[in-house]
Amino acid sequence: MKVQHIIRREYLENVRRKSFMVSTLLVPVIMAAFFVLPVVFALFVPDRQYRVAVVDQVGGVGSEIAAALVDTLKSGERKYAVESIDAPGERFDAEREARIAAVQRGDVDIAVAIPATVLSDGKAEYVTRETRNFNIFERFTYVVSDVVVARRLAAEGFDFTRVKALTEPVKMEMSRVSATGEVEEKNFLAEYGLVFVFVMILYMATLSWGITISRSVIEEKSSRVIEVLLSSLTPRDLMLGKLVGVGLAGMTQLSIWAVVGLAMSGYAATSSIAMLTSFEIPPAVFAYLMAYFLLGFALYSALFMTVGAACSTEQDAQQFQGLITLPMIVPLMTLMLLIQNPGSGLAVVLSMIPLFAPMMMLARIILLEPPLWQIALSMALLLVAIYFSITFAARIFRVGILIYGKRPNLRELIHWYKLAK
Amino acid sequence: MSDDVIEARDIVKRYGDFVAVDRVSLTVPRGTIFGLLGPNGAGKSTTIRMLLRVMLPDEGSIRVLGGDVSTLNVDRIGYLPEERGLYKKMKVGDLLTFFAEIKGVARAEARKRALSWLERMGLADRAARPVEELSKGMQQKVQFIATVIHEPELLILDEPFSGLDPVNANVLKDIMLDFHRRGHTVVFSTHMMEQVEKLCEHICLINKGRVVLSGTLAAVKKQYGHNGVSVRFAGDGAFLKTLPEVASFQDNGNELFLRLHDGAQPARVLDAARGRVEILRFEIAEPSVHDIFIERVSESS
Repeated sequence: MKVQHIIRREYLENVRRKSFMVSTLLVPVIMAAFFVLPVVFALFVPDRQYRVAVVDQVGGVGSEIAAALVDTLKSGERKYAVESIDAPGERFDAEREARIAAVQRGDVDIAVAIPATVLSDGKAEYVTRETRNFNIFERFTYVVSDVVVARRLAAEGFDFTRVKALTEPVKMEMSRVSATGEVEEKNFLAEYGLVFVFVMILYMATLSWGITISRSVIEEKSSRVIEVLLSSLTPRDLMLGKLVGVGLAGMTQLSIWAVVGLAMSGYAATSSIAMLTSFEIPPAVFAYLMAYFLLGFALYSALFMTVGAACSTEQDAQQFQGLITLPMIVPLMTLMLLIQNPGSGLAVVLSMIPLFAPMMMLARIILLEPPLWQIALSMALLLVAIYFSITFAARIFRVGILIYGKRPNLRELIHWYKLAK
Repeated sequence: MSDDVIEARDIVKRYGDFVAVDRVSLTVPRGTIFGLLGPNGAGKSTTIRMLLRVMLPDEGSIRVLGGDVSTLNVDRIGYLPEERGLYKKMKVGDLLTFFAEIKGVARAEARKRALSWLERMGLADRAARPVEELSKGMQQKVQFIATVIHEPELLILDEPFSGLDPVNANVLKDIMLDFHRRGHTVVFSTHMMEQVEKLCEHICLINKGRVVLSGTLAAVKKQYGHNGVSVRFAGDGAFLKTLPEVASFQDNGNELFLRLHDGAQPARVLDAARGRVEILRFEIAEPSVHDIFIERVSESS
């Protein structure tokens, strides 16, 4: 069997390429950054004291705010050193401007100005040099609101603590029940993130390996190595050898990513950091990723190879490659809709159409564990489509590979197809 | 086993309305050096591709090394295509091993042969370098090795000398002669006649997709060259072309080749020339393949 030598060459040449090593290493780093960085940022906010000036026109509100800000630093010190300034009536504007100037100079970190009108219109001011620290702003909003609302309630004769207890909102806990009946809590944002990452990886892998195979055919054509190859083995062997060799190179890369991904997910699951545990990924998802890559790659690469065979230069090939990429973009564009309703009839249908199935079904698998028959059916349909795409590709390949010159039009392609009986 | 390594009968190849190869028949005896001649666009490359099964003929039958197109005897053929090219990024040693392997040589043996050939070509230190780092001349040598590394019984070379510098042309000629001496068969196409004269035992002339002449070089020369003279002279020798003995001529500038009518005496030409021009050399000559080539091609056009 000569096909093994083609497989071997394609595999080794692809795996030894510098770009292979770079992307193999870089993608896990980016993946890790995608998940870990937000957590890191959230966890490692600087642990320091903030100097706060509260300018209070209402009267008494400032000291209540200071009393409510009981947050402490790791050292046990108070997080907020609050200076409360009573500024009734006319004095308010001057005091307010003085404190803002202090913020500007850096003498004060946060200035809060509470006008008397706050009781009716609910508007107060928060001035700082860096607006990025959203958590602190949230904290102030919460505290100031409580104090102001308590005042309003007191004016109407209600007890704030009592009202607050009675109006406490209901906390709903979201979870999903899996096919095996276990109920699991899920961080849904994390789950959507996972879907995006997995679908993007599948998309990029299928596209980049497809273009790799297309280029490799063009290279053989333009260097005329193709003639020596065809005088040594059949076009069928050559085609299959390239598909398998490049496919294996792609699988190697995905396996490395999967191992890294599993390790990261395992680490996340046992992590003491609550935010990370929700990034645990079931190992089966990686298996499905590989399976759908293999199927999607076989389907699309046969077409990419046809493009390579039909064109003599990379520039000619690019237009056709774009055409092949179109059906790959459909799942990306509909992904948002699919995520919101992964069980809908439309989602089921789209995940059955072979051109969309790899990405669509993978997304659905991560989101809701579709019935096994749907997964099986999508794979079966993919296999049928692969059979047709390879048969079609083989016929064009055989004729196109020896024809040089201008880019063929559709009519010529059909003619070639008929030629190769 | 047949003594003919190639037997092609009435092969036809059409590209749309254009007939590239029109009922060509070829017989290449074992152990010869066979020249396939013809002007550019005559159909040489197409014929060769069909012999190699790279393309299938529309009509006609081809047997190569005793097998038809469906049997796998391609491993016994070495092929050098007209336009050269290699995998640019591959290492030289890996590339040669790969080419030997797809011709059925086992891996270890392929590696050994690659290194010994590189040694022989003075490229041993380049085995681990990528092809693209080699000079053009070195790449040509690597390509020769790739063609012969599996010790083929039949070498088919398409325009092998085009684009070679004199050193590499010699290297290639030596390889061809070496294979010939060991009893292998060499088929090559060319439009450079000096090579044919020096190397070929058999020739086949193709023009516009048809065979116009074929046979052993000696027989072809005998058929076309029994009566010709070559005259080198000083002075105005234009009258020589119109002598009654002259059937046709070829003016090479300083030298005039005259083909005489059957039975005409070369001595009469010499007599006529003497006294009117200064004769520097007078030679009863067989025409070169070049002359036959030009003559037959212009006749059949």
